[in-house]
Amino acid sequence: MRAAPVRRAVRPRPRHTARASRVRRKGTTWEIRTFVATSAVIAAVFLLAMLYLAQTTTVSTLGYEAQRLQQTRDELRRQNALLEVDNARLDAPARIQAEATKLGLVRAASVPVFQLDQITAKR
Amino acid sequence: MTEAVSPRRIRVVFALFACATLLLTLRVGYWQTLGRGDLLAGATDQVRSDLVLAAQRGVVRDRTGALLATTVALRSLYAIPKRIGDTAAIEAAASKLAPLLGTTDDAVRRSLESGAEWLYLRRRLPEETAKAIESLGISGLGFEAEPKRLYPNDAAGAHLLGFVNDDGVGQYGIEGAYDEALRGSPGSLVVERDPQDRQLALGLRIARPPVNGADLTLTVDLVIQTAAEGVLREAIQKEHAPSGSVVVLDPRDGAILALASYPTYDPASVAKADPQALQDRAISWTYEPGSTMKAVTIAAAIDQHVVTPNTTYDDKGYAVIGGRVLHNALDKAYGVSTVTQILEHSANAGAVFVASKLGAEQLHAYLGAFGFGTATGVDLAAEARGDVRPTAEWYPVDLGTIAFGQGIAATPLQLAAAYAAIANGGTLYRPYVVATRRDADGEHRTAPVAVRRPISAETAATMRTMLTSSVDNGISNGAAVRGFSVAGKTGTAQIPSDDGRYLDDAYVSSFAGFAPANDPRFVAVIVLERPQSRLLGTLTAMAAFKSLAVDTLRALKIQPDRP
Repeated sequence: MRAAPVRRAVRPRPRHTARASRVRRKGTTWEIRTFVATSAVIAAVFLLAMLYLAQTTTVSTLGYEAQRLQQTRDELRRQNALLEVDNARLDAPARIQAEATKLGLVRAASVPVFQLDQITAKR
Repeated sequence: MTEAVSPRRIRVVFALFACATLLLTLRVGYWQTLGRGDLLAGATDQVRSDLVLAAQRGVVRDRTGALLATTVALRSLYAIPKRIGDTAAIEAAASKLAPLLGTTDDAVRRSLESGAEWLYLRRRLPEETAKAIESLGISGLGFEAEPKRLYPNDAAGAHLLGFVNDDGVGQYGIEGAYDEALRGSPGSLVVERDPQDRQLALGLRIARPPVNGADLTLTVDLVIQTAAEGVLREAIQKEHAPSGSVVVLDPRDGAILALASYPTYDPASVAKADPQALQDRAISWTYEPGSTMKAVTIAAAIDQHVVTPNTTYDDKGYAVIGGRVLHNALDKAYGVSTVTQILEHSANAGAVFVASKLGAEQLHAYLGAFGFGTATGVDLAAEARGDVRPTAEWYPVDLGTIAFGQGIAATPLQLAAAYAAIANGGTLYRPYVVATRRDADGEHRTAPVAVRRPISAETAATMRTMLTSSVDNGISNGAAVRGFSVAGKTGTAQIPSDDGRYLDDAYVSSFAGFAPANDPRFVAVIVLERPQSRLLGTLTAMAAFKSLAVDTLRALKIQPDRP
């Protein structure tokens, strides 16, 4: 069997004071909640905007950097092509022949050819 | 004290504000709805740029990979005179620029003071010059990259390569024949730009990348090409000849190893070239080949079994055909001679004897089979096809004259291709220059084309022996190379005038041959027009062949086949 709850004697407050207090507490809670909610929404929107801006700025910066790197790459390719042309100019048989002539070199009358089997036989 | 405002005035002001607000709202509404497109287009136009992305023209290399032609962006110098400064500043700039541009101070100053807001001072500068100008730091000057076709070997292979004109279109040679493949197709780029003319990463971006031109690797060997041009130049200078040409072929598949023509030009500065120099005389010019054709006549007769190398005839120094008397050179009579000796002596009377045995129809058929009278189909621009008249148009004497190469017209390349058929065992190959083409789809190798077989392998082997004897024992001995078997034949031909008669004392001297005769690796034809030594021009042609043969055999690393 359950024991009956013990009721303490509480002095009742006047009815009109309690209602006013309840209304006042209720109003304060609503204001705080609204304020907090609004602040949270504003903060969230602000944060999202900042995030978006940060991303946009990063992408833009990287875009400019990519362009700069592309230009560098193009210039290096151009320089490489110019060097290849220079290399080909220096390798040109006509130029080498002219330089050799300037140095007093003459064309070999004959080019000796050694057969591999002959060399092997001598060893 | 506060003055009372009449309600009526307030109402009027309110009404005005209301009207203004309404008008503003309507206007904003219009721009956001009906006028949105125009507004957007106007705004986009301010930041949008449409660019054509030029395709890179393909690179041309020789068979060893040596660079023959490439396109590089060179810097063009432009000026905005107003930004340079006042007259004193312009004069100072002109005096600094003039020596670098290779001109006078006045010329530069006049350009800068011409009144133009923007002008090119010099286009496509050498890189060293551009760097030197850049280091001057003159305000109001700038550079713009422009593509330039460069030929690092200067005039070497000029006729073979052709050139690219100012509009970027390939002309003559490889540049002309393969222009479409080399050029590629341009792309496009539509982007939005910021005030500093930089592309916006987040803006509009529509890109169609360009398709670069194909890279070509030629069958040509730069060392042999340089040697061919060198021997041709020397021969031309020695003979004071106005023009000449050289063709070097690989007889095994028709690959062109070298192709030289004189007069020549620098493909990088075509504007200064003599228009006559643009003609590639190895493929676009025809001539009566003369005695080099005797090899073709005799090959036909042996292939038809109407003569053998040992068939004899009595050489009296002349032959009579169609009522006309045709003489040997210098009226020499050789007595009883074999067909082999016809080549050794280059006897016209002997060639007439062989042709008479063969007959006009057969000779004509063999000329066609060897490729005379039709273009070889070489992959170069502006090839001539030569002229072999139908037998119906032949006079009786034509059988005799055509037997020794007078009365028909051929290009040096046609003659080289015919000799290549003799050299390789009887197959006529289509000459070709491009070995491989590399594009976005990968590498495409040119397959050699065997056109037909004009003579049997046995006939070809017999002809190689006879032509070797012509060099070893005959008048072609000047072409002999120590350590190698060489086969070949000289040619001296008269030049027809416009009225159909032959010119007095004007000849075309030539030599056609191949080596090593036992396993030919190259065929060369040397042609000299109007040599000063006239009939002796063949000596110079033979010497040129010999020199070229030595260089070619070395370049191809061919071992001697004789002690």
